Order: sequence, then structure tokens, then C-alpha cells
Amino acid sequence: MEFRTDPVGTDIAVISGEGRLNMVSGPLLRDVVKRAIDDGRPRVVVDLSRVAFMDSSGLGALIGALKSTREAQGDLRIVAPSTQVSMVLKLSNVDTILPPYTTAEEAYRD
Amino acid sequence: MTEERKNLVFSSPPDDVDAVHAFLETVWEANPEVGEFDRMAFETALIELASNVIQHASGDSGVTCVLTVSAGDDGLTASLADTADAGGIVLMNREMPEELAESGRGIALIQALVDDLRYERRDERNVWTITRGRSAD
Repeated sequence: MEFRTDPVGTDIAVISGEGRLNMVSGPLLRDVVKRAIDDGRPRVVVDLSRVAFMDSSGLGALIGALKSTREAQGDLRIVAPSTQVSMVLKLSNVDTILPPYTTAEEAYRD
Repeated sequence: MTEERKNLVFSSPPDDVDAVHAFLETVWEANPEVGEFDRMAFETALIELASNVIQHASGDSGVTCVLTVSAGDDGLTASLADTADAGGIVLMNREMPEELAESGRGIALIQALVDDLRYERRDERNVWTITRGRSAD
């Protein structure tokens, strides 16, 4: 799985991945988010529209990344999760701390 | 319909859960009557199970698994037999951890997604079985 980072404004990074977010790709996501924070972009939007599947390892990576951004006075928001990803978020009771946004623009608006 | 049964043998390393995803593709192709939600729930549970087995075996000399999936009128069943030592995974009645936890959700998710999760030690193998009944159409 590969991630692409698009800088927006002065402190926002939109990170897009394609594939499955799991025990293999989870550590890569943590690294990509850490790089964005190190580059002065702690407001991170993760575009999940092309992530077809996420397991609990992938969810753990997402939550770890969320905590890293908050420690850097930023935040992490997710965009366009698939039905499967939404199911995992809901069953894990994580949909309350990671509510889905429809578009990246909407996610970093406020 | 008759019950369809398919097998996959994989070893980690070098294989990972992608082998299980690819294998399930062939199961779904052979069983087009299995509904979208049942596929999604079952695949999520099975991947959690396989990830757990692979993760707990890493650090040792790796693990070889034999996976059997059957699809029939009653629903879906997967049996995963692995060569890891006994007792690596604590199975039953795991509660979902708090929202900001970064691990510990795998078994709780499986329990939420299948009707039955069983473990037995058989012939020096760990044998995990998950069953999900067919959802009403």
C-alpha cells in the first residue's frame, strides 16, 4: 500500500492511501503522518476513499496517528470511509472520535 | 445447493493476510449467492483471526496455516489450523477496549461479527473455527 501526501495551506496535510489498511500497511501510515507532523503539518486529513478494507491493526495505526497529531496541537480527520471501514469503526466504538467527513475540504474547513 | 469447500495452505513469513484476501476472492466467485454484508463481516472476522495467528507466531520460526472455508445454505464456516505453540491467544469474551486504545480489538471484533468462535488443540495444532449464519435476504 502506498500513501500520497498533498500539502494544503500552511499546516494541513491530506494523506491518501489505496489498498488495505492492516498489519502490513499500518506502520507505513504512522510514518507518513509522523513526517507530516515533522514538516509542520499537524492537521492531517486521511482520505480513505480508496481503502477497501481495514482491520484492527489498521485501526490501531489510525488511532496512534490521531494521538500523534493531537500531541502536536493538531488533529486527524478521516474522509469517505468504505462500508467495511465504517463497519469496523462503528463496532469498535471509534466512530465517535473519528467521525467521517465527506470530502477533504469539509474535513479541514474548521 | 451443495456445500462448497475450499482450502488454502500458507506460511508466514513470507505470506501475509493478503494471501487470505486473495483466497477469499475465489470463495466469493464460487459462491455468488453469499450476500454482500455476509462477505464483508466474514472476511473481516477471518482476517482478524489470521492476523492474530501470524502476529503471535512472529518471533518464533514462523507459522504454517491450513485454512478451510465452506459456504452452504446454513452460512459460512472457516477453520484455521496453525503450527504455533499452544495458548498464544486468549480467546473468549474479550471486551472492546476504550476508544483511544491502539490494540486489543481483534478478538472482540471477531465475536461481534460471527455467531460462533471456537478453539481446540488437536494433534499439536491450534484449530480455530468461526461460523456465521446466513443473514436474512
